[in-house]
Amino acid sequence: MKGVDRSFTLEELLGGNTRASLQPRIESLVGGATALTGSGGEPLWGRIPDGASFRVPIQLELEPIGHLVSDVPDMPRLRAAAALLGFLLRQRAQYLMASDLHIETVQADYEALLAKHAELEESERRLRELSSQLEQRVEAQVALLDERQRQLYEAERLASVGQLAAGIAHEINNPIGFIRSNLGTSRKYVGQLRAVRDALQGGSAETLERAREIDVDFILDDFDDLLRDCLDGADRIARIVRDLKGFSNVDGAAEESLDLGENLSVVCDMLAGQLPPGVALHRRLAPLPTLRCRSGHLNQVFFNVLRNAMQAVGEHGTISVAASAEEGGVCIEIVDDGCGIAKEHLGRVFDPFYTTRAVGEGTGLGLTVARDIVQSHRGRIDIASKPGSGTRVKISLPAEAA
Amino acid sequence: MVSRATSEQGGAALMAEFDEELGRLTVKVVYYGPAQSGKTTNLMQLHDLAGPELKGEIMTLETQNDRTLFFDLLPVGLRAPSGLLVKLRLFTVPGQVAHDGTRKAILSRADAVVFVADSRRNQTTNNAESFDNLAANAARVGLDFATLPLVIQFNKRDLPDIDSEAVIREQWREAPWPLTFASAIGGEGVRETFAALLGQLYPALDAQFALDAQHGLSAEAFVAGLCDGDVALRAGG
Ligand SMILES: Nc1nc2c(ncn2[C@@H]2O[C@H](COP(=O)(O)OP(=O)(O)OP(=O)(O)O)[C@@H](O)[C@H]2O)c(=O)[nH]1
Ligand SMILES: Nc1ncnc2c1ncn2[C@@H]1O[C@H](COP(=O)(O)OP(=O)(O)OP(=O)(O)O)[C@@H](O)[C@H]1O
Ligand SMILES: [Mg+2]
Ligand SMILES: [Mg+2]
Repeated sequence: MKGVDRSFTLEELLGGNTRASLQPRIESLVGGATALTGSGGEPLWGRIPDGASFRVPIQLELEPIGHLVSDVPDMPRLRAAAALLGFLLRQRAQYLMASDLHIETVQADYEALLAKHAELEESERRLRELSSQLEQRVEAQVALLDERQRQLYEAERLASVGQLAAGIAHEINNPIGFIRSNLGTSRKYVGQLRAVRDALQGGSAETLERAREIDVDFILDDFDDLLRDCLDGADRIARIVRDLKGFSNVDGAAEESLDLGENLSVVCDMLAGQLPPGVALHRRLAPLPTLRCRSGHLNQVFFNVLRNAMQAVGEHGTISVAASAEEGGVCIEIVDDGCGIAKEHLGRVFDPFYTTRAVGEGTGLGLTVARDIVQSHRGRIDIASKPGSGTRVKISLPAEAA
Repeated sequence: MVSRATSEQGGAALMAEFDEELGRLTVKVVYYGPAQSGKTTNLMQLHDLAGPELKGEIMTLETQNDRTLFFDLLPVGLRAPSGLLVKLRLFTVPGQVAHDGTRKAILSRADAVVFVADSRRNQTTNNAESFDNLAANAARVGLDFATLPLVIQFNKRDLPDIDSEAVIREQWREAPWPLTFASAIGGEGVRETFAALLGQLYPALDAQFALDAQHGLSAEAFVAGLCDGDVALRAGG
């Protein structure tokens, strides 16, 4: 047992050195030789004299912890010496108990400190874990945002396909309209021609009279014209449908040999239907060598650049599209006299998601995608602009495209 | 041979140490309470009173302006008719809040507690905090507070600005412990408090160590022997 609950023996309380220095002093107090015995009677110093000797208990708490024995027949001196020893022993015991107590409480404090330290480390560890999780979460969030942006872009693309579809519908409706009206008129002509035939096969004088009023020459001429117009219209529709197939051929990304001039005119045709009345679209398309490339992808490049030009000119302006053969490939230039691009923005127009358009009106991917496609054909796209006077986009594609 | 009471021996097992070889039973009593409530004074008075049959010297350890730093210890005792030495070691704890570690260490293995409260009204909070601290430390050192023999002493009855005994008794009506009132500085109520504690302690000791049956030590003789050194009461044994 430790601390205040421990019990002591005389031996524990009086170390060898203490005993050695105490003995002569006690003996000079008592006035003769003494012996000190422990609770079991064993001598701690001196020799227990034979025969009659004087024996006084040494008290620590209630019971004797030992005895002082002597031949000197002076009990008061012996008792005083024993009391003195008792006093010394109590001091010593007190000191030992207090120091045990001190060690015990310090130990407890230390353990509490250790526990607290462990707790601290634990909470720090949790914090670190949390912050690393936070990083992961942020990354996931950013990935999600990127994903959303891409989805937005897809949606935008779909919307522009929708716009295109509207333009195309317009283009197709027009010929269908006049084909229909031509056929209506043709049917009337067929009825009149049948009446003429009936009269000629021996009708009444009355029918003959009516047939004579029909201008068969006019009908035949006009009929001819109407049918020719109808054939033209049908051809136009067939061409639009063919173009459309080519244009939408983005995912069937097989390379084919083609004349880019045709692609350019298709895209121009598509957009022409959407131009405001104040905007003119000029084309100067020289004959081009055929290139091996992905038609649908390049259509998208032209479309993105042309749409930017349209947005730049707004309600009034001129857009010109020029294509020419150049050393080792083709060069396409799309020039507008629209708002232009400020110098500080020019360096960023190819950056993904860089846009100056109002929220929801542009994703800032148009030129990024255009450049990706051009580069995948080993070509290059350059943009030059002057704020207030316009923008020129130059696309060069090598004949030996990837 | 030393046998130590363990909880397997049933409910309110005491920590008391029974040394068969030496014929000695050692019991630990702790005077607990807020700083300056008079714990040390109680012990000094017990020492000075005619008191117990056997009484050792009081050890009062280093004090700093009168305040207990470690503990005070007063050993008292009696010899049962069987020859058994019943030894009570009376401790005080330091009341100052800062010495909680020491308080806890001294409280450990206690067999009984005297809680010394300061009767002054402005000490109510200190008393309550110290009492909560006693309950908390008892739990920490594995004492069953519900069965621990305990007496509550309201000290410093000589001072003004205190509640009357009736008011205090009313306030503590629900509590299971005996209340005593004392003015330890003048010695009043110190012996009564100790006697009340012995009254609480005896049944537990007797249940565990058969004081009456095996050692011929009755409750009255136990209290009288430790409070008054009244040898006459035990003369028949
Ligand atoms: N008036 C009055 N003063 C008392 C009484 N009991 C003790 N005191 C005084 O209160 C002060 C503190 O008494 P202590 O016995 O040292 O108190 P303690 O509880 O041991 O204090 P700590 O050791 O600090 O926990 C001393 O000045 C005592 O004289 C009392 O009944 N009445
Ligand atoms: N012809 C142009 N005239 C003026 N500014 C232009 C022109 N082309 C591009 N820009 C500027 O460059 C920016 C980026 O163009 P980009 O085509 O990459 O994205 P966007 O047009 O804003 O959005 P979208 O993804 O819908 O095309 C535009 O927001 C615009 O400020
Ligand atoms: Mg754009
Ligand atoms: Mg004290």
